Amino acid sequence: MTDEKPVYPFSAIVGQEDMKDALLANIVYPSIGGVLIRGEKGTAKSTAVRAVADLLPRRRVVGGCAFQCDFLDARTLCTSCRERIARGEVLEPVTATMRVVELPLSATEDRVAGTLDIEHAITKGRKKFEPGVLALANGNILYVDEVNLLDDHIVDLLLDAAAMGTNYVEREGISYSHPSRFMLVGTMNPEEGDLRPQLLDRFGLAVDVEGEKDAGRRAEIIKRRLAFERDPAGFCQQYEIRQEEIRQRIERAKDLVVKIEPDENLLRTAVKISLVLGVDGHRSDLTLVKSAIVFAALEGRSSVEEKDIITAARLSLPHRMRKGPFEESQMEFEKIRSVIAESYISP
Amino acid sequence: MNVPYPFPAISGHENAKKALMCVLVNEDINGILIVGDRGTAKTTLVRSIEAISGQKEIRTIPQNVTEDRLLGSIDIETAVSEGGVRMSPGILAEGNRQILFVDDINLLREEAVHSILTTSDTRRIVIEREGFSGRIETKFILAATMDPAEGELPYCVLDRFDLCVWLDRIENEELRTEIVRNRLLFEHAPEEFSAGYEHRVASLREKITKAQERLQYVSIPDGHLDLISDLCMELGISGQRGDLAVARTAKALAALDERDSVVFDDIKLAALLALEHRRREAPPQNPAVPPRSGTDERGDRPHGDAHANTGADNGGNQTDPQQPQQNGAMESFADTDPAGTPRDAESVFGIGSTFEVIGYLNEKSKIATGRQKSGRRNRLICSDRSGRYISYRLPGKNKTDIAFDASLRAAAPYQQFRKNENLAISLKISDLREKVREKKTARTILFLVDGSGSMGARRRMVAVKGAILSLLTDAYQKRDRVGLMVFRGKDARLLLPPTKSTDVAVRLLRSLPTGGTTPLAKGIVEAATMLTRGRYATPEENKTVVLLTDGRGNVSSGGHKDPSEELSDTAKKVVATGIRFVVVDTEEGHPRIGMARKLAGDLEATYFRLEDLDSRRLADSVRGMLYGMG
Repeated sequence: MTDEKPVYPFSAIVGQEDMKDALLANIVYPSIGGVLIRGEKGTAKSTAVRAVADLLPRRRVVGGCAFQCDFLDARTLCTSCRERIARGEVLEPVTATMRVVELPLSATEDRVAGTLDIEHAITKGRKKFEPGVLALANGNILYVDEVNLLDDHIVDLLLDAAAMGTNYVEREGISYSHPSRFMLVGTMNPEEGDLRPQLLDRFGLAVDVEGEKDAGRRAEIIKRRLAFERDPAGFCQQYEIRQEEIRQRIERAKDLVVKIEPDENLLRTAVKISLVLGVDGHRSDLTLVKSAIVFAALEGRSSVEEKDIITAARLSLPHRMRKGPFEESQMEFEKIRSVIAESYISP
Repeated sequence: MNVPYPFPAISGHENAKKALMCVLVNEDINGILIVGDRGTAKTTLVRSIEAISGQKEIRTIPQNVTEDRLLGSIDIETAVSEGGVRMSPGILAEGNRQILFVDDINLLREEAVHSILTTSDTRRIVIEREGFSGRIETKFILAATMDPAEGELPYCVLDRFDLCVWLDRIENEELRTEIVRNRLLFEHAPEEFSAGYEHRVASLREKITKAQERLQYVSIPDGHLDLISDLCMELGISGQRGDLAVARTAKALAALDERDSVVFDDIKLAALLALEHRRREAPPQNPAVPPRSGTDERGDRPHGDAHANTGADNGGNQTDPQQPQQNGAMESFADTDPAGTPRDAESVFGIGSTFEVIGYLNEKSKIATGRQKSGRRNRLICSDRSGRYISYRLPGKNKTDIAFDASLRAAAPYQQFRKNENLAISLKISDLREKVREKKTARTILFLVDGSGSMGARRRMVAVKGAILSLLTDAYQKRDRVGLMVFRGKDARLLLPPTKSTDVAVRLLRSLPTGGTTPLAKGIVEAATMLTRGRYATPEENKTVVLLTDGRGNVSSGGHKDPSEELSDTAKKVVATGIRFVVVDTEEGHPRIGMARKLAGDLEATYFRLEDLDSRRLADSVRGMLYGMG
């Protein structure tokens, strides 16, 4: 991607704390299930997502694997890695940086799911699978700008892959499946139409961003932007220390997340909230618990506090709250607060 | 590839689990459909059965499967390397003795659904294509899921699934907490978590294997067979599929329970799993036992149909040795239902007749299915390259969208006769095949509403709001867009840009401004312009304007023209755009001037009177016009 061109540093983004929190939470704990950023044009949505690239942790992947299989997780290996092991090969790890893979709106189905390698078929007379975006996305961030405008049949593909963590291809003479576990990040302008609830529910967190209203901060945004445009490298250099701080914060949080055990109180609170709000399915309960844990971890704490749950609720519930298409879906945040307060009586 | 969640670790959903086990035990059961809202573990359930099935493997049929991979086609590799024509089997054939899984089957395209279900039914694939003809025997277990919010399946498709289970929303706090806790543990360490269930998985596997062996010895007593056919007749289920499905499932249930004979409770549960989705009409509100419920009819039945504890029928149940167990089973079954079965329902259960089961079905029924109206979206074979590649054909003039796989297959049989210049395969123009792509068509429905200060404004708005919201429900499933434009004062304003978003619509509809003059012609022009421009310009889209007006435009946009003359001119011009119009006449009182009627004529529009329609009927009329004609 944009490896050479410097991207605007994440730490230089003014305000938009919810958006930044949601992105960081997902980097730390990808199983939260991605983030949807909703807002008008010019609210730094895309900037923030692209800026994330510079913060992403490194990971150990299988060398020579087209899908960058996770070296440390034997059960998610692709068929070719398994075949290699079966042949007695010893897989070597290489270090790769998690990256942002963009799915352009114009992408055709073949390019998303992968297809028959035509050149190989014609020259060698052999069927070979040519991996698509879902293969590239494995272990990475899959970013869809204007996700609400994505063609329905592409959305179906994403949903299937997201649901199963595997991309199944049965087309054009090819029968293939490969791991496709990605963190889905979408941005959209709600004025241009909404997302299907099915896809909406797949996003772990959702944030609504608004344009900055404070005059001073607006001026600051412009000032920084101009400085960046004038001298991108120099500007990034200036922020490098803060960037490094964030990277370390992510690393620390990653270590903490696995250590935090969700206590009974947290689980019950999450379930009660879901019941009060009448959300479908269990994804909201799970995401609420996971994100509460991650917000605690990002603060360097190893226990979940009331405020973590409130932040988690704010980011993980609004987009799931609709019961039927026409029931009013006002954010009944007070209800949530009272449920949380009941369970977490402040000492 | 990923570790599946262990079957016994899934909390709740007892009926679904039972049904899945039945399908594993009795492979004669043709397919199971699991229906549930998003995030209700539909996929998890299906994927978990691999481990308890013994030797079977789950093959996934993806949404974008192409014809050749589904049914099979010529194998390119053999053809090229050996010049032989060999059939390369598709998933349906590869799935022989395995489990085939279709997630979100209501989104899969119709031909594919048809092929899958037909193959499941007839247990064979007949292929006549690419110069190959053949017949492959295949027998698989079919498991599919759907989320009804994404659209219903037509009755004829539903009927072809022997079993159908609805997943309840779990409201029980304990159970939900358990689900979240287990899920977190599983995600944290899948292997360790699964290891904790290995013992239970193994015993289930053994239970299923034993049941499979026992199945051939399980018999259905004659009286119970009669009950099954009575039941299907009472429920108005056409064809024999329902009867067979109940019988097969009841046998599987008996085998799982280590019995050689089917008992009443097996049939009761089997009927719930196999008949509920085949009923054509919505269940009555009060599942009262019809008075006709012939005691006489049942009196003759030798087996007396298990336990009868309400006075009406005492057909020999006292001597039935199985009664205590059955009662026990029934109660525990009722307990596992999270919705909770009312205690008094037992009196209904006790009668022991077709009606008892029907009453039971009514208690349990979730939604009326088999609506004639299919939620399936409209599909269109499209000429540009934007759709989904589903099949191939001989190309037209422009050979731009070549289906390489199909072209290779077309060329394959001739390779041994062709010269080949350092390439593995030699292609000729005559081999070329072009992709057939399919796209879902979206309709755009724009409500154009007179917001002027005339009398009926409020009433109109109420009707319109109702109609828009009602149409949006449909539109969501069909991916249609609904918008609203109001004209009043000097101009026409687009209040709701055509949207699929019900949220946005609800918000915007809350406050609709009214009052002022009536720039009718302007409104029509604006609406037409909007629908022929920019994002809405795509020609294959079906566009409809629903115009609510009394037809009395009183402001002209040009200034010097007479408003009514201008209106007539405008209308005639707009007709050429191909936009379909529906005029809803809002004129009230007497005498009527009939301006809207005339306008409808000019617009070549369908005409309704608002007085005859409330908002519901308005939506229905528009809907009927749109979808009835499609």
